[in-house]
Amino acid sequence: MAPRWKGKGSEATALANPISKSISDLQSSLIRSNCEGILSGCSVLLACNPEQTDLMNQTCFGRPIITVDKDKQWFQLTLEEAFYLCYSLKCIKIVGGDHTIKTDNELWEHMTCNKASFPDFFKAYSHLRVKNWVVRSGCQFGVDFVAYRHHPSLVHSEYGVLVFSEGNENGNDRFRVWSDYQCTLRLCGGVAKTLLILLVSRNGKSVISPLLNCIDDYSVEERIVTRWTPERSRE
Amino acid sequence: MGPRWKGKRSEEKALANPISKLISDLRSSLIKSNSQAMLSGCSVLLKCNPEQTELLNQTCFGRPVITAEKDNHRFELSLEEAFYLCFSLKCIKIVGGDNVTRTDNELWEYMIFKRESFPYTFKAYSHLRNHNWVVRSGCQYGADFVAYRHHPSLVHSEYCVLVLSESNVNDRLRVWSDYQSMVRICGSVNKTLLVLHVHKNCENVITSSSPSFIDALNVEERTITRWDPKRCREKQQVGTE
Repeated sequence: MAPRWKGKGSEATALANPISKSISDLQSSLIRSNCEGILSGCSVLLACNPEQTDLMNQTCFGRPIITVDKDKQWFQLTLEEAFYLCYSLKCIKIVGGDHTIKTDNELWEHMTCNKASFPDFFKAYSHLRVKNWVVRSGCQFGVDFVAYRHHPSLVHSEYGVLVFSEGNENGNDRFRVWSDYQCTLRLCGGVAKTLLILLVSRNGKSVISPLLNCIDDYSVEERIVTRWTPERSRE
Repeated sequence: MGPRWKGKRSEEKALANPISKLISDLRSSLIKSNSQAMLSGCSVLLKCNPEQTELLNQTCFGRPVITAEKDNHRFELSLEEAFYLCFSLKCIKIVGGDNVTRTDNELWEYMIFKRESFPYTFKAYSHLRNHNWVVRSGCQYGADFVAYRHHPSLVHSEYCVLVLSESNVNDRLRVWSDYQSMVRICGSVNKTLLVLHVHKNCENVITSSSPSFIDALNVEERTITRWDPKRCREKQQVGTE
């Protein structure tokens, strides 16, 4: 399915303002002001100045939250988004409740404890982000993520993404039975998205230790699942 | 959500022709002609005369199969439908490829062999049918069944049914994204998600050695819908909005 741009000028606007450039600008700005995110359960809270707020919105990191703070706009980041900014882009630090900066390993441990599937979800998230896909939560559509070619205001999202782990002893939580395929495919079809499965393989690496380096050894395989209609697919 | 009848006269028509009466007529007709169905993989094929064809269509058992035969019609029944007609309504016999009639126990074993969750899906199916719901496959909607108040031509189906049990309790609705998915689909086709939990009513029951196992199962019903804080609030508002 080709990208579905919203309105006439969208494609041109998108080409003129590549996501990679916006992310690079965001990275510089956050580094310059030594930004620190605050760990808060399954989220990380980040205070941004006006320039950063704009860039965060353009690149779809986090969700703005309403506070009484007049000078800064606070954003709520998911674990994946926060870890991506901190570990992959190295443009924010993250502190715990005790105000001390957490090391990457400490963050990894915290996030993995909070969400057992975090390593696979993070691998999938960064796999897409690194290729300049805009990635957001897919919970509205019953999937793990949705992936856009550019900002959601310019283009409809093309992919509903489900993250599967290879080598999970209990199997994955989705797609264990046919009715789940039916359900998900029908939903994706109804919102004009293609279902993308990202199969994350840990390649035998244990999650517990060594903590962080293992993630570089994970691999991701992509699969698309679509309906096949005999009448339409015939030559 | 009240029943959504299709068109003006549908509700009248439905009240004049209750499903229970149609099923009773079907039952009599099948018994009168000593109807036999044949096991065929995960289906059961039933031969029927024009009167029975009409009643099978009116009560939504099976799907008509196109064949070259002019006088006899054939219907393809699911395992649940076939077992319901055979074991619960006792109006058909089922034979294997050798043309030998299978006993209830043999059928039970066969069907479990084909599908491990059969006792539980059958319990759910018969639970709804016994209450005169018209029950069909829900695979179009990613559910196990859909349940109608009467014939689908007269009313829209109200419920998408998922069956959860100890045998497949881990297959659907394990994670939030699955709930989101199902509730969204149900919403878009104007149905309510109905989850039937089927479980043994006593710890000591040995699983599924014979159809009497069905009596050892209980069904608990739950509907799952979205809750919208704005719409569910009472009219008087406290404080400012």
